[in-house]
Amino acid sequence: MLQEAGNAVSGISGADIALAAKYVAAGLCMGIGAIGPAIGEGMAAAHALDGMARQPEMQGALLRTMVLGQAISETTGIYSLLIAIVLLFVV
Amino acid sequence: MFEQLAGLLTHLGEKRIAVLHLGGFEIRFDIMTLIMSWIVILLLVGLALLLRKGLKQPVEEKPSRTQAALDGMIDLLKGQLSDNFASERLAARMFPFVSTLFLYVLLSNWLSVVPYLSSPTQNINITFGLALLVFIMSHVLAVRHKGTRKWLKGFLEPYAFMLPINLVGEIAKPLSHAFRLFGNVLAGTFLVTVIMVKFVPIALPPVLNIIFGLFFGAIQAFVFAILAVAYINVAVEE
Repeated sequence: MLQEAGNAVSGISGADIALAAKYVAAGLCMGIGAIGPAIGEGMAAAHALDGMARQPEMQGALLRTMVLGQAISETTGIYSLLIAIVLLFVV
Repeated sequence: MFEQLAGLLTHLGEKRIAVLHLGGFEIRFDIMTLIMSWIVILLLVGLALLLRKGLKQPVEEKPSRTQAALDGMIDLLKGQLSDNFASERLAARMFPFVSTLFLYVLLSNWLSVVPYLSSPTQNINITFGLALLVFIMSHVLAVRHKGTRKWLKGFLEPYAFMLPINLVGEIAKPLSHAFRLFGNVLAGTFLVTVIMVKFVPIALPPVLNIIFGLFFGAIQAFVFAILAVAYINVAVEE
C-alpha cells in the first residue's frame, strides 16, 4: 500500500513543491503583512476622527498628521508587498 | 500565467535597456523610464513657461484669472507644507525644493493614467534617487545650521554606544522613503493590470485607474513631500 502511495505522488518533483511553496509563501506574506498596517491605519483614523469631532477647527492639522502617520505605518505593508512580488517574479 | 503577467508588466513599462560600456564598467539605462521622466520634466517646464506669461509681480488691483488660480494653488501648497517647518526662514528657503519634489512626483504618478505611458516612479531607481536627494539635502542643511561638530555629535545622542542604531536609523530613512512610493505606485499598476488582463477587460479598469492613478497618486505625492519636510526638520533640529 505504501508502494502504491509512493507511485501516486512520484509525479511531483522537488521543483513543483518549490513552486507551490513560493505561491503559498507569497499569499501568506501579503495576507499576514496586511493585518498590521490595516489595524494601525484604522486606529490612526479613529483617533483623528475623535479629535476632529472634539475640535472641528483643528481639522486641517489633524488630517495632515493622520495622513503622515498612516503613510509611515503603511511601510511594513509595502515591505511585505515587495517581498511577495520578489517571491512571485524574481526568486 | 505569472510568466505571462510578468511579461505583460515589463511590456507595460517597455523595459528596453541600453548598455553603455565605459572603461570596464557597464552602465545600464532603462530607456522607457528615461523617456517618461523627460516627459514629466518637459511638461513641468512647459507649464511653468506657459503660465508665467499671465503673472505680474507686484500684484495689481484686479489679478488675471491665471494669477488668481495659481495664487490659490500655491497658497494651498504653502499652507500644507510650510506650517510643518521648524522656522519661517527654513520654510521660505525649502518651500521651492519641496514643492518641486511634490509636483514632479504628482505628475509622474498621474502619467500612468494616460494610455501607453507609464509612471517613472514605477522604477525603484527614480524613487531612490529622489529619496537620496532629500537625504543629502537634509544633512547638508543640518551641517549648515548646526555646524559640523554638532552634526557629528548628533549621532552620539543620547549615549555614545547608540551610534550603530543611529546610523542604521539614518540609512533606513531614504530606504523606506523610496520603497514607500515605489511600492504604492507598483501595487496600483499591478492591480489594474491583473484586473484588465485576467478578469474584466472593459468598464472597470478605467475606474480603477482613476482611483489608483489619480487619487492614490496625489496622496502618495503629498506623503512623499511631507515626509521630505519631516526628515529635513528632524535633521535641522537642535
